[in-house]
Amino acid sequence: MDFDLSESQNMLLDTAKKFLEKEAKGLARQVEKTDAGYSPELWQKIAELGWIGLVFPEQYGGIEGTFQDLVLLVEEMGKAVFPGPFTTTAISGLSILDHGNSSQKDAFIPALTDGELIISPALIKPDPLMNESIVHDQASMKNGKYLLSGTRLFVPFGHVAGRFIYEADTDKGKTLFLIDAGNPGIRCLPLDSIAGDKPCEVVLEGVEVSEEDIIGTPGKAEKIIKQINTRGALLESAYICGMLEQVLKMTVEYANEREQFGDKIGALQCIQHQCADMATDTDQVKFLTYEAAWKLSKGLPADKEVSMAKSWASDASRRVCLLGVKIHGGTGVMEEHDMQIYFRKAKAEELAFGDGDFHREIVATQLGL
Amino acid sequence: MDFSFSAEEEKFKQEVQELFISEEELSKAAKKEWNTGLGFGPNCWKILQKIGERGWLCPTWPKEYGGLGLSYMYRYIVVEQMHHFVDIYTTVGAGMAGPIILSHGTDEQKNKYLPPIARGEVEFVLGYTEPQAGSDLAALSIKAEDKGDYYLINGSKLFNTRAHYSQYHWLGARTAVIKPKYKGISLFIVDLKNTPGITISPIWSVGGTRTNEIFYDNVKIPKDSLVGEANRGFYYILEALDYERISTVAGLERDFKELVEYVKEKRKAGDPIIRQKLGGLAAEIESARLFALKVAWMLDNGRVPNYEAAMLKMKVAETEQNLVNTAMQIFGPYGQVQKGCRWAQFDGQFERFYRDSLENLITRGTSEIMRNIIAQRGLGMPRR
Repeated sequence: MDFDLSESQNMLLDTAKKFLEKEAKGLARQVEKTDAGYSPELWQKIAELGWIGLVFPEQYGGIEGTFQDLVLLVEEMGKAVFPGPFTTTAISGLSILDHGNSSQKDAFIPALTDGELIISPALIKPDPLMNESIVHDQASMKNGKYLLSGTRLFVPFGHVAGRFIYEADTDKGKTLFLIDAGNPGIRCLPLDSIAGDKPCEVVLEGVEVSEEDIIGTPGKAEKIIKQINTRGALLESAYICGMLEQVLKMTVEYANEREQFGDKIGALQCIQHQCADMATDTDQVKFLTYEAAWKLSKGLPADKEVSMAKSWASDASRRVCLLGVKIHGGTGVMEEHDMQIYFRKAKAEELAFGDGDFHREIVATQLGL
Repeated sequence: MDFSFSAEEEKFKQEVQELFISEEELSKAAKKEWNTGLGFGPNCWKILQKIGERGWLCPTWPKEYGGLGLSYMYRYIVVEQMHHFVDIYTTVGAGMAGPIILSHGTDEQKNKYLPPIARGEVEFVLGYTEPQAGSDLAALSIKAEDKGDYYLINGSKLFNTRAHYSQYHWLGARTAVIKPKYKGISLFIVDLKNTPGITISPIWSVGGTRTNEIFYDNVKIPKDSLVGEANRGFYYILEALDYERISTVAGLERDFKELVEYVKEKRKAGDPIIRQKLGGLAAEIESARLFALKVAWMLDNGRVPNYEAAMLKMKVAETEQNLVNTAMQIFGPYGQVQKGCRWAQFDGQFERFYRDSLENLITRGTSEIMRNIIAQRGLGMPRR
């Protein structure tokens, strides 16, 4: 049993804390008003720090860290609500590393770790009951090439992605493609959303894709997609964990300074008990996330643990941020204060890669129900 | 980071499990006895002695006092298995009184009390709470007057649960009327079987558990009953609370598993509401288990789990409440039916647990006191 971090993990986090403190303060509020929705300049800097390549082999420009290292780094990013396509690019890259062929790895992973290439999973199909899609799914063959049409929603940072991971139902079954986002048949529309973090609608119309862009075996997309979603859910949990730690810190600081009725509100038990509940919720997210990360890093089955982590994280994310806002009083709803960003972001993270209900259902299945 | 037991710990865990499995009949009888709410019966004593004779009741203690000189993780492992097989976590002797005797008692006290505690032969009843001193323990008022060659005790105690079968009272009493109040409290060991003037009278809880009121009427106890220094008792109590909050969710995991099997058997596994509840509970129980492991790990690494222990205590109690409540909800109206009735599910076990689970929200510090500790010690919020 060991709840401590390794020396190299401590070094990584030390650098991350300093960097984010210096570079990312107030960043989330600034960039959500820009078209990019993140800072390309800082993206280059974190590439130079080796963060984007953290979990990739040296031969592709990575530094060969573990998935657990990645989880810890994402937790730090969560504290700063660091905006950008970091987690989704990392898990996309990992799926190429695990399932791509050598020429795909050579072509895309070094570009990714260098910070030049953003890859985004475009895997969520529209629910026909919610709204009618303009372009429906189609996959056909023409002159040995695939012609793909379809609509995908909530594609993270789709507007700045160089490649999409896209699943289509071909004659061989569900097949995963790595599609060039620059293809003239692709339209990408960032959607205005609660956290201002640019989930996109991506529309493919007669996009020509060659067999070389298939990831893994044709017809075997489901396993890879499941892996992407599992990793995504865990990294979201880590990001939420960081956010909640920061919200708790901000809230306690505020309560210990703010005076009403001639005393610090932090001396009131009603406030203290809410903060204690925030701390407990946050620690639950933290250890469930760490345990799942440890299992994934060891290559052990972790579906149940990941879903326990994300189910708790999703609901805690909402609970803790709501208490944070309430304790901040009017200050918590001011646009110029960070608290409201965490509150909005908490909802987006709650929904990303499955909300609490979704993951509790997975846990139930894992229990044999 | 590593969430697994070492190979040695894993081997030890198996040995402990094997004891309970080889003593299956006895374990079951002890669990049944304990769950009557009457406390330790003959089978409880027997299984405690089987655990004790192997040095497992107090594995962290030195060998000379009946321990094995092992780390806290071994104690965690024993407590986990005890919780799983017999529902009794530990004894007050092994968990609360013993550690204070070990660090503050005289050599005579250590030699007299520690070996029988470690062997599972004696039990102590915790003597802290009084009618006017619950969460505010420092307000306790039972009087211990130094009369030169003895102490004279007058006053009463409330909710001293294990009194009717314990040999000793672990008594917190006032030796000085002083402000702040906590600076006038001392700890004593009182021989309940051989001391005149003590009356133990039963109180029954909503959960069917017997607890007690204890009255001291001009009770004389020897001078060497005092543990450590006079008026330092409150410090010892707090210290022991920090260091002995080893707890587990093994009993909850066992009941949860039975509940899951029940849901499958009764073909309710397809009900989305039940699936949601059980999925959520699994995560909650697992998070509490990780809190417990963290506290044991901190103790082994010389770190004081002051707010972590409070968080663990609160979480385990509240998770237990959630578990029994969920079971009751799954049973619907059948949940209310008591033991012995043919419509009772699990022979009414959860109906009783539902009532009995209230106790853990209160005893050893209420959830609200735990929240104070988390906020003040853990988060640095002001104390008033």
